[in-house]
Amino acid sequence: MSHAHTPGNGGAEHPAAPTVDEITDFEVLEIAVRELAIEHGLFTAEDHRRFTEWAESIGPAAGSRLVAKAWVDPAFKERVLKDAVKACKEIGIDWAEPTGFGTPSDYMNLRVLEDTPTLHHVIVCTLCSCYPRPLLGMSPEWYRTTNYRRRLVRWPRQVLAEFGLVLPPEVEIRVEDSNQKCRFMVLPVRPAGTENWTEEQLAEIVTRDCMIGVALPRPGRTADVHPMHRARRPVGSSRD
Amino acid sequence: MAGREELVQQQEIISFLQPALHMPQNWNYELASPVVKAYLHPPHDVGGQFDVPAIYEEKEEEQWELNTYVTCEVLGWRGIWNSEERRRRADNDLGYAMYLGIPYYGRWILAAARMLVDKKHIALSELIEKIAEVKARYARK
Amino acid sequence: MRESESRGTPPAAAGKARFKVGDRVRVKDLPNLFYSRTQMYVRGAVGTIAACTYQDLIPEDEAFNRDGRIEQYYIVRFRQKDLWPGYPFDNDTLQTESPERWLEPADD
Ligand SMILES: [Fe+2]
Repeated sequence: MSHAHTPGNGGAEHPAAPTVDEITDFEVLEIAVRELAIEHGLFTAEDHRRFTEWAESIGPAAGSRLVAKAWVDPAFKERVLKDAVKACKEIGIDWAEPTGFGTPSDYMNLRVLEDTPTLHHVIVCTLCSCYPRPLLGMSPEWYRTTNYRRRLVRWPRQVLAEFGLVLPPEVEIRVEDSNQKCRFMVLPVRPAGTENWTEEQLAEIVTRDCMIGVALPRPGRTADVHPMHRARRPVGSSRD
Repeated sequence: MAGREELVQQQEIISFLQPALHMPQNWNYELASPVVKAYLHPPHDVGGQFDVPAIYEEKEEEQWELNTYVTCEVLGWRGIWNSEERRRRADNDLGYAMYLGIPYYGRWILAAARMLVDKKHIALSELIEKIAEVKARYARK
Repeated sequence: MRESESRGTPPAAAGKARFKVGDRVRVKDLPNLFYSRTQMYVRGAVGTIAACTYQDLIPEDEAFNRDGRIEQYYIVRFRQKDLWPGYPFDNDTLQTESPERWLEPADD
């Protein structure tokens, strides 16, 4: 190394990140821990493969289906609000997967929070990043940042505005800090202009952000648009 | 292995890593209670702390991140630890500097490694040798 | 595997819940040492029980792998104005979970 990489004021001159063909420190540690755990019989490669298969099967589409069905079927909505884990089975989501007793981290206490024209829910976990994975998939990275967790509970309207969601003061904003073993999902208000839509059509406008509560569904809005930070070696790429 | 010059430079970078309570803190024979409470505050409890507006970007998941998540969950599935212990180790025990500075799943895998060593499932010497071996394995490719 | 660490076996009952929906409660400020899931920002604040949820281990024990003490959990609702000085919107609320031992009756 010929030139200095000493961090300067504001950390503007951190050492360069590794190049793409270099293996990173965390990749090395991850491989070492996984291989040793398997060598010591703490779990099997098959356990890891099975859990990975489940993790790759989950995503927000299940939540979208649940919301769309709740919008068109009031009896289903009542079942969702009464016992969401049980109601999830009706849309093909079993919270007991993939182990028979659920995942170690998601527990089985899902609660669906129903918005009204005068009440808007938004979800955060200020302590880590608790999130209803079986129904919405893996949490977005921004949901895990200290920034979102610090600010949402105290300045919810400012944070929502940064997501492009501005709500009038007469709408009560209810922040749900998911700090223990309940998991939460927002059931937004069905927007105007969707009369006579099929469940499939409705599900398309219920994006992940709508179910976290940082966006509202509306006709024509079928994706959450954020700047994208690309992975160096995304899921599915192999080193070997 | 890193060269001598690189090691000296690494040493310099380490010296910049000083999260601190910004008050004089040498020779602390006694501390006022609010200061003790600040030190003992669990780092993960950040709700209401000041921060600046941010761009909430999406991040594509790295393969090692998914592997880390699965390894930690499978360790729970097989009864080696539970998720509350994982949160304690990854979000608190690492301390402020690592909590704020290390990527999300980087903290998870560090927590898992430390737990396996603490519970004597793996000897630290064995883990260190394995890390060196994995590094060498992929350096050759 | 140790089944006690799995989520499969429901923990032994903790007895009758001390609070019911609508009760006013204050969050205690117990000392912080090594681990807690009771946020600083709710401590000392008064809120209303919004739901009695489940019974489970308490996080301070579970984080160190101790089984045994099972408690009733609640969802508590606060007015944002009661949590943050100068909070400008009267209607806004916040909910969070708490195990029973962190709550005491508030008669205000
Ligand atoms: Fe969390």
